[in-house]
Amino acid sequence: MERTSAKVVVAGGFGAGKTTLVGSVSEISPLTTEEVMTEASVGVDDLAGLEEKTRTTVALDFGRITINAEVVLYLFGTPGQDRFWFMWDELAQGALGAVVLVDTRRLPASFASIDYFERRGIPFVVAVNTFYGECAYTDDEIRSALQLSADVPLTRCDARQRDSALDALIRLLQHVLAKLPTAA
Amino acid sequence: MMDFDARRHRDDAEQGQLVPLYVLVNGRTTPRNASLDLATQVVALPADTTVLEPEYREILWQCRQWMSIAEISAYLQRPLTVVKVLVDILLEQDYVALGSAAQRTVYDRALLETLLGGLQRL
Repeated sequence: MERTSAKVVVAGGFGAGKTTLVGSVSEISPLTTEEVMTEASVGVDDLAGLEEKTRTTVALDFGRITINAEVVLYLFGTPGQDRFWFMWDELAQGALGAVVLVDTRRLPASFASIDYFERRGIPFVVAVNTFYGECAYTDDEIRSALQLSADVPLTRCDARQRDSALDALIRLLQHVLAKLPTAA
Repeated sequence: MMDFDARRHRDDAEQGQLVPLYVLVNGRTTPRNASLDLATQVVALPADTTVLEPEYREILWQCRQWMSIAEISAYLQRPLTVVKVLVDILLEQDYVALGSAAQRTVYDRALLETLLGGLQRL
């Protein structure tokens, strides 16, 4: 039997609701795994510093959605701390796209995520987390504040609500499909 | 140096780790199979596992059914890179098989449509 996996990255600033969103849609309790790095943090795939006491760990939360017997989708939340950027490359490699969660009270916290995916040409949608109540800004105001290109979908989502969180993922899949070159 | 070694062994003992990780992976620091990804699916193949170290047997036990590298890492509470190296060694010795790497699926329209349909049915 064949088995294929796909990855979606859930990004956003600290406290934007990444872990909450992963937990809302995952069929398993979100799991935490960790990566080690040395103080020099030369790279992820390097255990050479493990015997030194300056090792530190980066925690990653992730969840799973089984689509059918052969296809499974994983959602990986990005580490909250900016100093763990090296981990993003591992998460983003092979990811079909990303959901960038935005907390409108802290818009600047999402600039780094948006910039990261834009630079690498990784498709993403921006989901404004309404966790903290009604958002006082219009879509145009948010787009303008985030300097979003017109083709990046902007949606609202309550990361605590399964249907709402799923909808953000559906918007992402639709966006990825729309961007796919037509002739293979 | 003495102090540093003692510290390490105490840490490892606290985690129930009798053999330091770098011994377990035979000094290998990177997986040879570069396609191993967090989401790569791993499944155990039928084999006699009694000759293996407990850490390898644990992985094979987890992979009775398809399981991702990230899940193995979480359940075994071992760092991702360590798990990748352990899986890589099991792969070379035909103890496990891999599913399609996530990297190859990005532009697969049929797969993306399957994912979209699956999410819409949830």
